[in-house]
Amino acid sequence: MSTCSDASGAIMPLPKVRRATGFGWALPALAFVGIFFVVPVAILLLRSVLEPVPGLGNYAQLIGSATYLKIFANTFIVSGLVTVISLLIGFPVAWALAIMPGRLTSVIFAILLLSMWTNLLARTYAWMVLLQRTGLINKMLIGMGLIDQPLALVNNLTGVTIGMTYIMLPFIILPLYGVIKKIDPSTLQAAALCGANRWQCLTRVLLPLAMPGMAAGALMVFVMSLGYFVTPSLLGGTANMMLAELIAQFVQSLVNWGMGGAAALVLLVVTLSLYAVQLRFFGNQNPGGR
Amino acid sequence: MKTTFAFAAVAAFVAVSAPVKADNLVFSSWGGTTQDAQKAAWASPFTEKTGITVVQDGPTDYGKLKAMVEAGEVNWDVVDVEGDYAAQAGKNGQLEKLDFSVIDKSKLDPRFVTDYSVGSFYYSFVIGCNADAVKACPKTWADLFDTAKFPGKRTFYKWSAPGVIEAALLADGVPADKLYPLDLDRAFKKLDTIKSDIIWWSGGAQSQQLLASAEAPVGSVWNGRMTALAATGIKVETSWEQNITAADALVVPKGAPNAEAAMKFIALATSAEPQAALAKATGYAPINLDSAKLMDPETAKTLPDQQTASQVNADMNYWAENRDAIGEKWYAWQAK
Repeated sequence: MSTCSDASGAIMPLPKVRRATGFGWALPALAFVGIFFVVPVAILLLRSVLEPVPGLGNYAQLIGSATYLKIFANTFIVSGLVTVISLLIGFPVAWALAIMPGRLTSVIFAILLLSMWTNLLARTYAWMVLLQRTGLINKMLIGMGLIDQPLALVNNLTGVTIGMTYIMLPFIILPLYGVIKKIDPSTLQAAALCGANRWQCLTRVLLPLAMPGMAAGALMVFVMSLGYFVTPSLLGGTANMMLAELIAQFVQSLVNWGMGGAAALVLLVVTLSLYAVQLRFFGNQNPGGR
Repeated sequence: MKTTFAFAAVAAFVAVSAPVKADNLVFSSWGGTTQDAQKAAWASPFTEKTGITVVQDGPTDYGKLKAMVEAGEVNWDVVDVEGDYAAQAGKNGQLEKLDFSVIDKSKLDPRFVTDYSVGSFYYSFVIGCNADAVKACPKTWADLFDTAKFPGKRTFYKWSAPGVIEAALLADGVPADKLYPLDLDRAFKKLDTIKSDIIWWSGGAQSQQLLASAEAPVGSVWNGRMTALAATGIKVETSWEQNITAADALVVPKGAPNAEAAMKFIALATSAEPQAALAKATGYAPINLDSAKLMDPETAKTLPDQQTASQVNADMNYWAENRDAIGEKWYAWQAK
């Protein structure tokens, strides 16, 4: 499955891997990014300090309001939860994929990729149907006599976490698979021969070797979660509102671009600093293993 | 598979880059069954009559509209927006004044006509109920807020827009003619009493899903969605007691390239027959006063314009004035 490690490599930040020998090739791409990304973002950010009156009023309002702070907190709590759970589920799956016989691997990859390519809205609605009070899961649990009142699985934090974890899983499994696949099995054998028990093999050999993949996957899931819109909006309650929904509301329905820009800048700064941290610590260890 | 994709990509590219010619008109609305109905009831006869092609676009997005107007690059000629937004945008200079020498406003419901907008269709927030799922259906807003008499989840519209605040105040005993200016503190206090029992809907399809699945067997929904739900065979009950009406509006963005054709389009869309046809297809009421006599009686009795006995008009001008302030409080309360 060399394509998969390529795919996982392509979505990682790849510093210093291919040393640029000429700048020319990058120009069209840079121009594209400049025109379609940097300029609009710069305009939006300018508006955040110019509208409705010049100054930092929008930022003061964002930071000074308990509501907005709660939305920031929600965003980080949900993203963190989703990242941790995705790692906990994703790691064993990636490990299993790496050591499984080839045919089974392709079946599981097919399932993984198909779910990734299915329309996001359809998947989110499917979770809604599964999780609601009259949904399949509650009916099953009641039918089995495990509970007598339906559990509140949707329109709250539980619903958002389940739905988003499901959607993010491929993004953590694929890079992890790429890294684990590259780990030489003989390192584990060597560790065992030197007297390491299973736990030690896992914590002192496997996990450190898989760390770049875990960090890259976790960062990607966390950052994607920070800006997520559809799933939290549909599976969460209003008490779990996240930043992206707030921005959408400012821009689309309240037509308050100043506040929308300010909130977007905060999100952008947080995202970029996370990338910076990741580059600082894992920048030299390319998970693609080239 | 590949060819479909390539075709779609090319089609999308052409759609984006096609120059807006003078014999074209771009109409933006909210998508879904409502826009399908608008296409059939308004756009088709318009093209037949004038030879002007109507390109459908959407969904309507106020941020996008504002960006177009500010950049002077408007590519929507007629836009279906919410009534309170139309009033606000008109004041803010983002809309063209409508040409009432082309549009005959003498036949239009005056509640929904301003210098910058005319009604598109009007709807009511009604009390919907899945009669199979509950012992008794709530009849009044007070019932809907009474969790002792009607236990279980209820659903309300999620966004800050006319409807829920009015319902809370009516439920708390405010007389319909004393609603405005809205007593927000009182409304939120009333809403607090049922906050943990509310599941919010953010789009019409979701409100239907919540009612049909009995996830929230009762709630405040757009009347047209109840008509559609009844048609699927689910046993639903609609209470029109104090139904709260609001209207969508048709507007022309400032600097629209085909403003002249836009006026003609609006003239036709608001005339009696197309309005009746739209009402028949959507379950929303016509804003042309002559349309009622063109409706078959079966459809007519499911429309808000037949339910005026205890009808409450949401005050679009009040909302336009206070849209931002209410929105801020609304989302703060929701996130609490």
